[in-house]
Amino acid sequence: MSEFQRFLAKRLAISILLTLVAVSVIFVVLRLLPGSPFESLVTAGNLSQQQITEIRAMYGLDQPMWRQYLSYLQSILLFQFGYSILRSQPVWGVLAPRLVNTLILLVPALVTTAVLSSLLGMYVGWNRGSKLEKLSIIATTFLRSTPVFITGILFVIIFAYNLELVPAFGMRSISASPEGYVETFASLDFLHHYILPFTVSVLYYSGDFLLLARNGVVEKRGSEFLKLHRAKGLSEMQQLARAGRNSMLPILTYFALRLGMIFQGLILLEVVFGWPGIGRELVLAIQQQDYPLVQAAVFIMALAVIVANLVADVLYAYFDPTVSTSGGGAA
Amino acid sequence: MSTETKPEAELKKRVEGVAETLRNQFTFLRRDRLAFAGVVIVAAFVFLGLLGPALAPHDPIEHTVRDDTGSMLRLSEPTGAAPFGTTAYGKDVLSQFLAGAQPTFIVGLFGGIGTGALGFLVGLVSGYYGGWVDEVLMRLTDLTFSLPFTPMALLLLTFVTPSVWLMTGIIVAFLWKMPARVVRSEVLSVRERTFVKSARASGASDLRTMLYHVAPNVLPIGFLYTAYGIAWAIAAQASLAFLGFGDPTVTSWGRMLRQVFESGNMRVAWWWVLPPALGIAAITTSVFLIGRAYEEVINPEIQTEQ
Repeated sequence: MSEFQRFLAKRLAISILLTLVAVSVIFVVLRLLPGSPFESLVTAGNLSQQQITEIRAMYGLDQPMWRQYLSYLQSILLFQFGYSILRSQPVWGVLAPRLVNTLILLVPALVTTAVLSSLLGMYVGWNRGSKLEKLSIIATTFLRSTPVFITGILFVIIFAYNLELVPAFGMRSISASPEGYVETFASLDFLHHYILPFTVSVLYYSGDFLLLARNGVVEKRGSEFLKLHRAKGLSEMQQLARAGRNSMLPILTYFALRLGMIFQGLILLEVVFGWPGIGRELVLAIQQQDYPLVQAAVFIMALAVIVANLVADVLYAYFDPTVSTSGGGAA
Repeated sequence: MSTETKPEAELKKRVEGVAETLRNQFTFLRRDRLAFAGVVIVAAFVFLGLLGPALAPHDPIEHTVRDDTGSMLRLSEPTGAAPFGTTAYGKDVLSQFLAGAQPTFIVGLFGGIGTGALGFLVGLVSGYYGGWVDEVLMRLTDLTFSLPFTPMALLLLTFVTPSVWLMTGIIVAFLWKMPARVVRSEVLSVRERTFVKSARASGASDLRTMLYHVAPNVLPIGFLYTAYGIAWAIAAQASLAFLGFGDPTVTSWGRMLRQVFESGNMRVAWWWVLPPALGIAAITTSVFLIGRAYEEVINPEIQTEQ
């Protein structure tokens, strides 16, 4: 077990280092490239020189670069993201509800697709060469390789504009003004807006899970342990269950990775559906050059990926006996 | 027998070997109907990418379609004058579609090749040399994995004027990690095989062993990921253009979709949406269908089953 702990410690140290580097890259990109939100304010002539100096001091922009970097590092690692320049409210206050909106759309979608597509993948992998296998592969190849905004646009045109089954845009009707999370999410109006983006994300992510599960089962099909199970007289379905269980590991780790990429992956989806999530907020903030908001959003996205990578690696090392370096432990 | 002819014979044998593999793969492609359909679509796309702008009946941005009375035809359904209809700005959709294939093609091709080549090299060197070289290169890939692509690309493109080549560069800079990891793990297993060890034992240099003995055996997976790289690059470029971070001077399929989305005409102007949308969907899907067919050949564990 100490081997595993050493692996864990090393992996953790690497993740921390990566976080630092990622944060620094964000700083460099944001500070060293030209353009500042104050320039537009100054050129618009709305501020006096004194006001400009005051605001610059307030945001610490008059400090030398290294000092800015240190205070930036300190605050961002403590999740103190400061004030949004254009919205004049705390960044966290802007981002937190957006983050919730994104999660409530994507986590259920990802779980649904992981379960359904993996089961389907195992089934078609077992029945290799069937019509269903061909069909599911074409469908999921199309869905996972086409950029998600195109699938989104096509679905909006079909289901929102032509069949008029669901609204095309936003998270709730304009007239609705719910208070609090419960009232927001536990309503028919929300569900009505939810179905289409939910379906598109389920379909978009289905391909990888389906192929992973299928390939896993196909690889296991000819293996010795299944011959034993067949000889024991287990039914087809029971054999499939055992082959499937043994292909779970890549699916599990892939799920962890996907969970980490969730925020960045569906920026496009949120834009197409007008979903008020963190991805759409980032695009808006970039367009308005709202630095604090941008750096916070990118930081959250990067952090999610780093943590997910860590979790995936640890899961793999923990569950897969062939990866462990301690040796001896046979499966 | 003389030592001078030996390398030549060796080389010839190797070339024949490569030709043989290529032949096998073409035969295979013909057998898999899906992959074959993919090849046809890719060929059509290459044709459009090379000749599209020349085929376009009008200039995609300058020319305005007018009716008989001379007034601008806005959002016209497909007619004789404009077979694919017109945009909200009175532009010919067919011309935009044909001209828009080119930037999509350029970014896809060079982005994909760059991704494949860079990733292949990194994976090869990293896997072959191991040790601190491996450690450094793999931590570098970890880093690019942890920098989220879309947000970072958006950030960069905000400050720098986007051009087709800049987009290609950014895409390569973010995507090479995928082939690098896969190629590296392949190299790790090839490196331990007997023929590689015997090459080393018979005095071949590291560089020679790596290039002549290890590289050919991981080349198929390199090609596979180059193909995937092309699809990824096309998707990435279209996505960035759709978000409004594309080259503003060039008509691309992603940009067409941005314009129809921004102008709020998606509800009516299906003729404006469908050509670029289906074009992108068709090309990315085709590349993956071909790639998947190859994967079945390359992955021996799947292959042995029937």
